[in-house]
Amino acid sequence: MPKLSEAGKRAVTIFISAMVIFSTLAYVSVTPRPREQFFQIYVLGETGKAERYYPNNNPNIPSGKAVKWYLGTTNFMGSVQYVVIKVKLGNSTIKAPDDINYTPSPAPVLLQFKRVLMNNETWEFPFIWTIQKIDAHDNVISPTMLEINGVAVRNSQVRASKGYNFRVVFELWTFDPESVGFVFGWRTGAERRVAWLQIWFNATSPGTR
Amino acid sequence: MQDRSIRLWAMLAAVMLALMVPTFSCTRPRVVFSFSTLSGSSQAIDRANVEFARALAAAREAEAAGADEDQLLVLIEKLNLAVWMIDRAESLLLQGDTAAAAAQADRSIEVSKGVVLEAVRLRDEASLRTYYGKVFAFGMVPVASLLVTVGTHYGWKWWRRREIDRTMRMEIKGVREPMEET
Repeated sequence: MPKLSEAGKRAVTIFISAMVIFSTLAYVSVTPRPREQFFQIYVLGETGKAERYYPNNNPNIPSGKAVKWYLGTTNFMGSVQYVVIKVKLGNSTIKAPDDINYTPSPAPVLLQFKRVLMNNETWEFPFIWTIQKIDAHDNVISPTMLEINGVAVRNSQVRASKGYNFRVVFELWTFDPESVGFVFGWRTGAERRVAWLQIWFNATSPGTR
Repeated sequence: MQDRSIRLWAMLAAVMLALMVPTFSCTRPRVVFSFSTLSGSSQAIDRANVEFARALAAAREAEAAGADEDQLLVLIEKLNLAVWMIDRAESLLLQGDTAAAAAQADRSIEVSKGVVLEAVRLRDEASLRTYYGKVFAFGMVPVASLLVTVGTHYGWKWWRRREIDRTMRMEIKGVREPMEET
């Protein structure tokens, strides 16, 4: 085997070093970086900011008074996702969603909003609701008819003493390709996460408060 | 005793009558037609949901293969249209308009099938593009390494020559000591 000259040895060393460096660069450029996968869900007040969630900043909502919020979610899952935002009406005794056991609230669903979202896409829409009819029996108040974004919704289950401490719960559900159905929250690898929000209010008959 | 048997017979007859009325009403053609229509539109909605799930999976595959974002956006818009149609079909079914519900579900199926075809085309194109991209990236590695090696070699030679020339051009200059003051 012929012995390499000093210049030859130097050239071979440089060539091998350059191969290693450029191969690493090529691998990094063609391999997508793993990123944290999550969703973001938010509710904003009528000004589109995290303020003024009630008309005149008064959480006592009389029937016929429209309340305007902005509901939004952003997909940071790194892929196309099919999401549902379930809107539920609860009171102080109905359980909230469970972050530890990933169980949704047992409160009745008033309405749900579905959409397919691209990666990094934010879906924001106005959420305007009005209590259309309130039933009051022996200090127990129940908003029996609501209107959400122009859709009439009935409620026959949720009532509260003196109309205090109702809450609108927003739950984020995603389509799970494995079970071919919706699951509360989402899966990232072996992990499970959930996201939900709630806003409290008091339902008042006109002239009650 | 006879009274009791009459009562028993009367009860039995009432039970028989109660069983016969729904059976008879179920065999009436109008009711049978209505039931089958309801079932038919419900099946159409189920098919629409299955087809939608396939379309969503196809869109995800296209995205994973590296499909162009603008083209993917068109698919997502179509998927959202299919979602809206399925929702509409379900609400029409609840209102009892079975024919319109079935028609809406069928339109959703068409949209979803279109999405599947388009997504498969996008996925294949993207896969090919990604493959060529990888081949180019790794194919450029030895070329770039060779260029760096040749460049370094000639750079080294030039620098060496320059250094030698600089050394050769050096002159010995005497440093004149300052005159001692006497």
